[in-house]
Amino acid sequence: MLNLFQLVLQIAVILVAARVVGFLFQKINQPQVMGEMVAGILLGPSLLGWVAPGISAALFPPASLSYLNALSQVGLVVFMFVVGLALNPSELHGYGHAAVLTSHVSIVAPFCLGGLTALYLYPRLSDDGVTFTGFALFMGAAMSITAFPVLARILTERGLVRSRMGTLAIACAAVDDVTGWCILAYIVVLVRVTHATRPAWVTIAGSLAYVLIMLFVVRRLLPAFERAFRKRDRLSDNLVAGIVVLVLTSALATEWLGIHLLFGAFLMGAIMPKTPEFTGYLLHKFESVTVVLLLPLFFAYTGLRTRIGVGGGGAIWFYSAIVIVVAITGKLGGSMFAARLAGMPWREAASLGILMNTRGLMELVILNIGLDIGVISPAMFSIMVLMALVTTFMTTPLLEWVYPPRLFRAPVDEIHKNVA
Amino acid sequence: MGLPLLGLLGILDAGRAIQAPPSIGGEWTLEVDPAAHCASPPGSILRQLAFNISQSGTQALVTLNDGHATTLEATVNGQTITCKSFVANIAGNQGRRTLEGTMSFDGCAPVAFRAVRQPSRKRGD
Repeated sequence: MLNLFQLVLQIAVILVAARVVGFLFQKINQPQVMGEMVAGILLGPSLLGWVAPGISAALFPPASLSYLNALSQVGLVVFMFVVGLALNPSELHGYGHAAVLTSHVSIVAPFCLGGLTALYLYPRLSDDGVTFTGFALFMGAAMSITAFPVLARILTERGLVRSRMGTLAIACAAVDDVTGWCILAYIVVLVRVTHATRPAWVTIAGSLAYVLIMLFVVRRLLPAFERAFRKRDRLSDNLVAGIVVLVLTSALATEWLGIHLLFGAFLMGAIMPKTPEFTGYLLHKFESVTVVLLLPLFFAYTGLRTRIGVGGGGAIWFYSAIVIVVAITGKLGGSMFAARLAGMPWREAASLGILMNTRGLMELVILNIGLDIGVISPAMFSIMVLMALVTTFMTTPLLEWVYPPRLFRAPVDEIHKNVA
Repeated sequence: MGLPLLGLLGILDAGRAIQAPPSIGGEWTLEVDPAAHCASPPGSILRQLAFNISQSGTQALVTLNDGHATTLEATVNGQTITCKSFVANIAGNQGRRTLEGTMSFDGCAPVAFRAVRQPSRKRGD
C-alpha cells in the first residue's frame, strides 16, 4: 500500500542529495547532471546501504520502490520526448564525410568490441536464461551509445556548443542516438519475443505499421501545433496537454507492441516540427520539471539497483576494468581514428573521440531497460553503470587537456573547409 | 561495413558454443520434510519459507522471506548451488527449474528440501 509520507520523504531526500552533489561537481568543472547521477549511486547500497544499512532500509524499503520507479518512468517518458525533440537531422547536413564516417565508426567499433567482450563475460556474469546473441547484442548497443543530452550540456557549459567541434560532436551524437535506439529496439523485441506468448509477427508487423503511421500520418499533422504557436507565440494549455497525450499514446503503442515505452516517446519527439522557436518553447515547457524533479528520481532508482563493489570479490573489479577499457577503446579510439581518417587534425579528432565517449544518462536508461527485461544480470548492470560514470566523468578534464578553450574559438563555418 | 558485420556474425556464432551457468534467479517456494524438527527457525516457519535469488552468473544473493530479509551469498558451480545454509542440486529445464538438497540452520538438524521456482514475469511480460 502507498505510504505517501515515505514517498514524499524519499523525493525530498533525493532532490537535496541531487542538488548538493550536483553543486559540488560543478565546482570541479563537471556537469550538474554528472553530480546528480553520482548522488543516486550514493543513496543506494554502494554507499548509504553499506555505511548505514538501518537508515537505508528505513528510507528506501524494497516494497516502496515501485512508486519511486513509476514516477521515474513517467519522468523518463517525458525526458525521451525532450531528447527526440532536441534532435535535428538537418544539423548533420553540411558536415559531410567526417560526420558520416565518424558516427558510423563510433557505433560499429564499440559494438563489435562489446560483442567480443561478451564472449568472456557471458559465462561469468550471465546465465542460460539469456541467449548469447541477446547478451552480446545488448553489450554492443550499450557500449556504442553516446549521451546526446549530457554531451549537449557539457558543450553548453563550456561554451563549446557553437564551435566547429561542438556542432560536429552533436551531429554525430544525434546519429549515434537514433542508431543506438533502433538497435536496442531490435534487441528488446528479440528478447521479449523469445519469452513472450505473443506471436513474433504481431510485434514485427505492428512495429513496422507503427513507424509508418508515425512518419507518414502523425508527422504531417504535427505542424498544426507549430502554426498555433506562431499565431500567439505560445501554446494554450489544451494544446500542450494534447502534445502530452500524443506522447503518452505513442509510448503506450510501443509498450503494447513489446518494444518499450521510451521508444514511442523518443520517436514522437523526433518527428515534431523543428523550427528553433517552437522546439525551444516546448523544451522550456517540458524540461524544467523533468530535469529538476523527475530525472533525479530516476538516478536514485538506478542507484538503488546498483551495487558497485558489493559481492563478487576482486573479480568484479577486474570485469569492471575490462568493460571500461573496452568501452573507451571502442568509442573514443574508434571515433578519433575515423575523424582522423576523414581529414581532421589529430587534436580535433581526439577531442571528438573524447566527446563521443560521453555516455552518461542515456547509458543509464538503456541499462535499466536491459536489467528490466533480464538480458543483463545485476552485477553486469552495476559494472556498466560504473563504466557510464567513468566515461562521463573523464570527458571534461580530458577535453580541457586535449582541446583547451583558446583553441576552440574558430567559427563553425571553418569546419567545412577542414573536413568536407 | 561488411567486414565488421562478418566479424560480429563470427562472434555470435562462436558464442553459441559457450555454456552459461544455469538460471536460478527469481522467486522460489520451499518444500521441506514435514518431519523436520527445528528450534530456530521454528519448523512451521521453515515449512512456509519462500526466498528470492538474484543471480549474476556464478554469483547469487539469496534473500529469505523470513521477516528479516536475511541475505546469503551463494555460488553456482556447475549444477550445484552452495551457500552458508544450504547445498542443492539444480535440476529441471528453464521453464520448470527445481532445487533439491540439504538445508541447515542454527538449532536445526540438516533438513532435506525441494524448492520450485515461480513463473517469472520478466523477459516476456
